[in-house]
Amino acid sequence: MQKTIQLILVAVFLCASIKISAQDNINLQSIIIDSTLTKDANAVVRSEEVLIEINSINSVRVKTKRIVTVLNKFGKGYADSFEWYSPSTKIKKLQATIYDGFGKEVKKYKKKDFSDRSVYDGISLMNDDRMKYFEYTPVDYPYTLVFESEVEKSSSAFIQSWKPVIGYRLSVEESSYKILNPTKIPLRSKETNFGGYAIGVNKLDSEISYSIKGVKAELPEVNSPSFYEIFPKAMLALENFALEGVEGSATDWKSFGKWRYDNLLVGRDQLPEETIQKINKLVSNVNTKEEKVKLIYEYVQNKTRYISIQLGIGGWVPFPASDVDRLGYGDCKALTNYTKALLSTQGIQSYYTVVYGDRNKEDIDFDFASMQGNHIILNVPNEEEDIWLECTNQTLPFNFIGDFTDNRNVLVLKPEGGEIKRTKKYGPEENILHTTATVNLTADKAMNATIRRKSKGLVYNWKYGIQFKTPKDQQLHYKEHWGYINNLEINSIKHGDDKDAIKFTEDLEVSCSSYTKKAGSRLLVAPNLFSCDQSNLPKYENRQTPLVISRGYINTDEYVINIPKEYAIGNLPEKKSIETEFGSYTYELEKINESQIKFKRFLKIIDGTFPKEKYEEYRKFRSEIKKIDKSKIVLKQQ
Amino acid sequence: MKILNKVILVITLILTTNTFAQDYKFGKVSKEELLEKSYPLDSAANAVVLYENKKVHFAYINNQFQLVTDVFKRIKLYNKNGFDEASEQIYLYQGSNDREKVSGLKAMTYSLAGDEIIETKLKKDGIFESEYSEYYNEVKFTMPALQEGSVIEYKYKITSPYIRNIDKIYLQQDIPIKKIDIEVETPEYYNFKKYTRGYLPISLKESTKNNKLKGRRVEGSVYVIDYISNMYSINSSDIPAFKEEPYCGNLENYLSSIVFELQFTRFPNSGTKSYSSTWEDVAKSIYDNPRFGDELKKKNYFKEDIDQLITGINDPLKKTTLIFDFVKKKMTWNDKYRVVTSDGVKKAYKDAVGNSAEINLMLVAMLKYAKVNANPVLVSSNKRTISLFPTLEGFDYVIARVKSGNTTMYLDATDKYGEPNVLPDRVIHGSGRVLAENGTSQLVNFRPGKASRVQRSIMCQIDSGGVIKGKQSTSRSSYLAHSFRVRHGEKDKETQIKRIKERYELDDLNAYELKGVNELGKSVAERFEFTLENEAEVVDNEIFFSPLLFLRDKENIFKSEERKYPIDFGYGYANTMMVSIKIPEGYEVVEIPEGSAFKLPENMGKFVYRTNVIMGNTIQVSVTETLNAPFIPAEYYLTIKEFYNQIIQKESDQVVLKKV
Repeated sequence: MQKTIQLILVAVFLCASIKISAQDNINLQSIIIDSTLTKDANAVVRSEEVLIEINSINSVRVKTKRIVTVLNKFGKGYADSFEWYSPSTKIKKLQATIYDGFGKEVKKYKKKDFSDRSVYDGISLMNDDRMKYFEYTPVDYPYTLVFESEVEKSSSAFIQSWKPVIGYRLSVEESSYKILNPTKIPLRSKETNFGGYAIGVNKLDSEISYSIKGVKAELPEVNSPSFYEIFPKAMLALENFALEGVEGSATDWKSFGKWRYDNLLVGRDQLPEETIQKINKLVSNVNTKEEKVKLIYEYVQNKTRYISIQLGIGGWVPFPASDVDRLGYGDCKALTNYTKALLSTQGIQSYYTVVYGDRNKEDIDFDFASMQGNHIILNVPNEEEDIWLECTNQTLPFNFIGDFTDNRNVLVLKPEGGEIKRTKKYGPEENILHTTATVNLTADKAMNATIRRKSKGLVYNWKYGIQFKTPKDQQLHYKEHWGYINNLEINSIKHGDDKDAIKFTEDLEVSCSSYTKKAGSRLLVAPNLFSCDQSNLPKYENRQTPLVISRGYINTDEYVINIPKEYAIGNLPEKKSIETEFGSYTYELEKINESQIKFKRFLKIIDGTFPKEKYEEYRKFRSEIKKIDKSKIVLKQQ
Repeated sequence: MKILNKVILVITLILTTNTFAQDYKFGKVSKEELLEKSYPLDSAANAVVLYENKKVHFAYINNQFQLVTDVFKRIKLYNKNGFDEASEQIYLYQGSNDREKVSGLKAMTYSLAGDEIIETKLKKDGIFESEYSEYYNEVKFTMPALQEGSVIEYKYKITSPYIRNIDKIYLQQDIPIKKIDIEVETPEYYNFKKYTRGYLPISLKESTKNNKLKGRRVEGSVYVIDYISNMYSINSSDIPAFKEEPYCGNLENYLSSIVFELQFTRFPNSGTKSYSSTWEDVAKSIYDNPRFGDELKKKNYFKEDIDQLITGINDPLKKTTLIFDFVKKKMTWNDKYRVVTSDGVKKAYKDAVGNSAEINLMLVAMLKYAKVNANPVLVSSNKRTISLFPTLEGFDYVIARVKSGNTTMYLDATDKYGEPNVLPDRVIHGSGRVLAENGTSQLVNFRPGKASRVQRSIMCQIDSGGVIKGKQSTSRSSYLAHSFRVRHGEKDKETQIKRIKERYELDDLNAYELKGVNELGKSVAERFEFTLENEAEVVDNEIFFSPLLFLRDKENIFKSEERKYPIDFGYGYANTMMVSIKIPEGYEVVEIPEGSAFKLPENMGKFVYRTNVIMGNTIQVSVTETLNAPFIPAEYYLTIKEFYNQIIQKESDQVVLKKV
């Protein structure tokens, strides 16, 4: 019985694959590509066909045929084809052929011609992924690559998404994707950003397919949504699946989370008795939950460091808390699980949480359950507001996740199942940089100043790392930060890091032998010494994407400027204010007495997403600020 | 070149080593070491090598010599930022039938708990082995149970069948080294040449020692042979951390290290086999190498094409240009730096792709075939440590030299934008040696003697609202044109416009034109029209602005207070700026910056700033900034920094216009 079914299956697939290669008549002559596709493009995906055959939850075959025409040297990356493999992913077929602009074959790489090396992901000390790739030196442009591969995977928890557009300056002539699901394992799918594209969709129990044609190349724009929010994408997941030999089933986040909790997490929290005693002692003098969590978090920070090791199922399962306790290191999974285990010794419930960690925010999809995320943090429910812990960082303050995991949907794994929560958002009012300074100007153009800067919220996150640099690099940091002041000397640097209040203080003494400019009897002074807007937003003739300001903040400045006695303060310019929906700005000068001026500046930027038409307004707002920021006043010799 | 030699010359001084009563045996970590809170000689150090011991010797195993390297390190980790030092990677070469192996790995973490020293051993679960690439295996480990203040120790042994290759021994690291002992022991049969690098004094002690080796003959009898070993040792202490600085060229030239290169072998009852010792030997060994000398002799693969190309042409310079352009056009460099061919010139020619040796040896062979006086030039590229001693090890790249009458031309056909005597950065930041087949050789400095020119000019007018409208044009020649071509030559017009808008912070830019990118030998010219709204300031009845407008230099590239390594620009430059600004009707020029001129010592560079007002309504400014010396010794650093400070300051001087 079994055997006949397999035979039939083989026959069916043979047909399917014949069909696929029958579409081979695409024109490899790249010199005749439609100009709407070559405009702004560095490469054109002539055709991409992905065929995924789900034979069982332990056997998924992915066949890819991709034809890419590279138009210039900047498009070469889009033709760099490779396949990853690992103990659970085997490469069955691999072939690449290069054709010149006239469609003539230039070079052919068979599987044995591909180079092989371990994948260096930039973070891990060790992982067992490897890749096969080839190196081709283009002799001329355009050229066309035909890449074919077939990969057999024993894990079906990840079904490759359909992403027909993988980059900017890349157009797509046609791209198709088909999943064959002959055994009708329930298959869920979710499409995003399909609007505005002509996409063919076909959904049956045993088959889902997508296709698209004629997608023009887009150019990247500043302050735009993330790539994944712009281009079409279809996510797919099986309701019954296997991950590195661990089987599971899930229909939604609740059941998915339950599976992940029961299979990839539970029972890895034993700790040596000695450690439990140590923790008991550690928290014996504090009463509130928050205080206890804080002490334990700091204990973990002191004891451990981040080392990434991803081997087999170890890529998904944290290594036991007792190992972390002994070795003093681990990856995000291991360190989060360890912290969770330590908290539970005190009866504090906390949840292992899956997130996309990146400064560019990315959400775990709120209603499509599948393997997502690239990082783990810890969620501790608390009466007023949840506590979030980043366990891989030894220097961040308690309950401060910073911009790496802030304000996004995450998957919280509870014993009863998964739940989507949103991490803390740091609003504009919380992200504060306050600068005060006393500035002395002398008649010989010199300046010296005592500066104090206080940072809170995400600004803390952006600044507190300076304290760990060497004194020389700290000096260079400030010289580069205020690069617009020529020959700035940093005479003294003091940092105060108040982790309890999450406040970073910089006390600086700086000087410059020629800050002001002399023009005859005038002395030109730019009163905004330390907060000149450095943004340089491009002007777009035809902005395509909405304006995204990902995080808001408030910068305030207040300086007392002592002017040289040889000079007199003339008329000071009026207070300038700008109010926009993106934020507000004021610039104000006030004469304190005959020899002192007070400078005040306020800038608030509000986060949000605005229609693309608003970009130009925002650009003008910043450009106006920039102009006012560097404006000078004229002091007259007396 | 004189300056270069002076800088690179290694001064050998004898260090007075302070010996503390410190035990440097594995496991003998002291409480004092664990208690130390920071490194007294460099309080900024996050970690320090307390002790490093490296012993390289030859062991006679299974009737043949093997190269054995014993490594022992003790590292203090003062704080968490030093924890990166607690992971070690060892790369092991794997040839077709033999490979390097690591053994005896032992490692321990020591921490203080109150008064007690806690020892945590590195176990198997902290050691990882993998196949890194076709030729390399990798062994990595990371130390357990680290705390701030911990001391780690590890030791291991690498056994290698590749006895000719003693790895470069580094005597300096990016963290300070408190004490380091290096010992290299080579049997009399192998003669190694030593060369050292870096600005730190290195004292190498040499001695000899009697040794015995035991082997077993095929028939089973044991033999014992007495031989003499040469011993080399370096004992050094208090070595500062190595820090990178901008415009350094190749850092490897300044990082302290020692290289042993096999010069010749001489076994009993057999003759001397030379590897390299004099430049003649080096020349001989490279010309004898089938992937160099033989490749130069092959002609058949290009004969027809070249015959056709140079038919009827006699002038060697014309022939050179034709052949050079032919190779440049036909061949594409695969980004590989090589002294010898990999797949061979014939295959490279067929595929139109090759490494630096394939492309440039092909070029030399064609030139020779065309009866042009051409030779290969071995190059230490910007990635390779420059070699002052006769050794092949110092070279990683090849170019060509042509001599005809009084003309000498250096050619690199790997560079599509290359011109005779305009070489890519990877070559000018290095150095070369011309090697003729007869063994004569000559050191070559590629840095050009003449400064490359860039001329910028602006014609514009300013209105009473401070808005400036005008035209700008730029013309770059020689190396500056080359650098432009390499960086921007293939970008589309929109990208060029975007680049200029970003660089000059311009919102409005029109009529952009770019010429000469593909006309090698000519200058690259750019021009555009602009409107500046934010440059001039209007205060009451006066208008203020810097007359160089957006052309002025705003930021000094040199910010450090001190510098240890020379500045290597690669080539000098002469930057001329001419600005002409028509002022609005009803305004007069009340202040204009004074002229100014200053110079660097030894004719290294100068700056001239001139202003003028014509017919009462047009301001003219001309600026020439020249830096003649492409390579500036570190002792001039503060002078150079101040030179740029003065320039930036002068260029920001203001014009004041006043309503009449």
